[in-house]
Amino acid sequence: MLQILAQLIVSGISVGMIYAVIAFGYQLTFATSKTLNFGQGEALMLGSLVGWTVVAYTGYWLMLPVVLAFGLVQGAVVERLGVRQAIKTKSESGWIMATIALGIIFRNLAENIWGRDALKFPSPLPETPIALGGVRVLPMEIAIVVGAIAMMAAVELFNRRSIYGKAVVATANDRDAAGLMGINTGRVITFSYALSSLAAAFAGVLIAPVTSTGAAMGGALGLKAFAVAIIGGLSSGVGVVVGGVILGITENLTGYYISTGYKDVPGLVLLLLVLSFRPAGLFGRATIKKV
Amino acid sequence: MLRERQYTVKKLGRSYAASGGMLSLDQKKRGIRFMRLGKRHLLAVGTSIFALSMAAVPAQAADPIKIGLSGPFTGGSASMGVSMRDGVKLAVSEINKAGGVLGRPIALVERDEEAKNEVGVQVAQELINKEQVVATLGFINTGVALASQRFYEEAEIPVINNVATGSLITQQFKAPEYKSNYVFRTAANDLIQSEMIADEAVTRQGFKKIAILADSTNYGQLGRTDLEHALAKSDVKPVAEEKFNIGDTDMTSQLLRAKQAGADAVLTYAIGPELAQIANGMAKLGWKVPMIGSWTLAMSTFIDNAGVNGDGAMMPQTFIQLPNTPKRKAFIDAYQAAYKTDRIPSPVSAAQGYDSVYLLAAAINQAKSTDGPKIRAALENLQTKVEGVVTVYDHPYTATDHEAISANIPVFGLVKDGRVVPAHPEDVAGDQAMRIKPKA
Repeated sequence: MLQILAQLIVSGISVGMIYAVIAFGYQLTFATSKTLNFGQGEALMLGSLVGWTVVAYTGYWLMLPVVLAFGLVQGAVVERLGVRQAIKTKSESGWIMATIALGIIFRNLAENIWGRDALKFPSPLPETPIALGGVRVLPMEIAIVVGAIAMMAAVELFNRRSIYGKAVVATANDRDAAGLMGINTGRVITFSYALSSLAAAFAGVLIAPVTSTGAAMGGALGLKAFAVAIIGGLSSGVGVVVGGVILGITENLTGYYISTGYKDVPGLVLLLLVLSFRPAGLFGRATIKKV
Repeated sequence: MLRERQYTVKKLGRSYAASGGMLSLDQKKRGIRFMRLGKRHLLAVGTSIFALSMAAVPAQAADPIKIGLSGPFTGGSASMGVSMRDGVKLAVSEINKAGGVLGRPIALVERDEEAKNEVGVQVAQELINKEQVVATLGFINTGVALASQRFYEEAEIPVINNVATGSLITQQFKAPEYKSNYVFRTAANDLIQSEMIADEAVTRQGFKKIAILADSTNYGQLGRTDLEHALAKSDVKPVAEEKFNIGDTDMTSQLLRAKQAGADAVLTYAIGPELAQIANGMAKLGWKVPMIGSWTLAMSTFIDNAGVNGDGAMMPQTFIQLPNTPKRKAFIDAYQAAYKTDRIPSPVSAAQGYDSVYLLAAAINQAKSTDGPKIRAALENLQTKVEGVVTVYDHPYTATDHEAISANIPVFGLVKDGRVVPAHPEDVAGDQAMRIKPKA
């Protein structure tokens, strides 16, 4: 009995970390520009499919830098085309439609290039599960957890230690003040979009060996990650990890102990509860919008 | 550079005409690629395509017979939709090469309904009112078929479902509420499939503790109900019935529930990617029981994504890519040559699509007319034997029976090394190779 519980929790954590990495991308752009890339799921999908093409020539590890570079460019493109104008004109909703539209365009593009079927992504690690005291886990699932945490830590470290990172943090704290201090905040926002798509692209190739890849992979995951970002709070790095893990585990426990037909319900109930009682998220700082 | 571009345009225009006014996906892609070459020439290119397609019209001898083709060519069901379309196109080009129907070539009007009910409805209306097709072939998804067929019924235009399997499809417009039913099918419906699955699991292999895993779509849930009924006939009640959504990537809780209930076989009603997650999840949990399910276990998305974990999965098939009759060999060779692929992505869809064209063509020839009611009457009383890939159609339909595939036609396929092979070789050996619907 305990063994089953442990298995459910372990599987829940690995799914939850997938949500967390994508949610992390939402958080990066929200911090600097108070806008989100609603095409985050599609950024993940594109990264994953580019990885799928490259991996055939280079193998898994050499493919990573290519995908990361692609993610940077893709994110910058989204910002230039979809968000910059909206920020400039202080449009409240222009960026929402623009990022959704870009997401749809990217998906259609991917359908034309890679087809519409789910594609098998070669796994860099053995595909035989490891048994840890009765709990069975795939090596790749461990890699997802480790990789996700490592990536988030790397971004955090970059923000805290490097001069460019400090510019990002300064813009996040107060865009106007940062601008007055000589920081090109427009460029910082572009950079944060690039970084968020990099995170998504990395997540894409990280999870693809387990979930398989394909033009349709972004939709459901992007939406779940959005819920995670809301639950955890859009301003907290720890928040998305905890939020992701909570959602992953709740889904599995509900699926097993209540009914697999209701697997998605508690996560959404949780989302509603958080929105009613802690609108800034479990770990978010409540900010008062001064008018 | 310019000359090269003009050449591409001409080539595109020519193949446009050759395909009967229909661009294939890769022609479109080629089109897009050269359009990217330069904005300045876009106008010139556009005009020349227009001119060429206009020029193509008088080249065709007689007025073509327009036949609608409705299927999902994008989205999760696309591998079935595209295989079906390719099968249909193959048959149409063969027929046109041999002189067409009633001395007129067939022109396909191809529309992607993206497996969405509302798009299917739009497509149906467009094909009927704007394109004025004489009949329509297609439908992969039961929901789309049920939503779209009403318009064909009202317009008295026959439609042949060549892939969708929902049991309700041919029953929607039955007498006496409706004067005549315009909906026909060349696929094995879910009643046939679920009976076969239950029979295989319980009678042939002797499993008594059954778990059903089905997705939350209409397809999965209606199939689950059919399976329950089929199992009940041999007094078996499933020990677990689990559900999941399209796009789910983790099946741990569903599989653990089935395992804890002591299931010794898993019966499935879902589509490729999620079925692969089930097979992979079983391997991860170290729980290996036979997987038997609807024909979608033959989808390439299942076979490729499950890899070795999918070996041994069994499903009913009307056609297995196996050249065991001359007609099948010719079909497989032609398909491989035309689409440059060794493995047909969905052999069942391709074969059923191919056969549906020949049935329709035979009916139009017999009716000597493209009038909907006359074609329907001809289909219901087809005098010529049509030798298809799946079977030999000898009076496949009657006024009350619109199912060309009877329970004795499908056999069990088995996934082995990335291919579907016959599960029981004796089922397809000798005179069993061609299974024919018994006379009513």
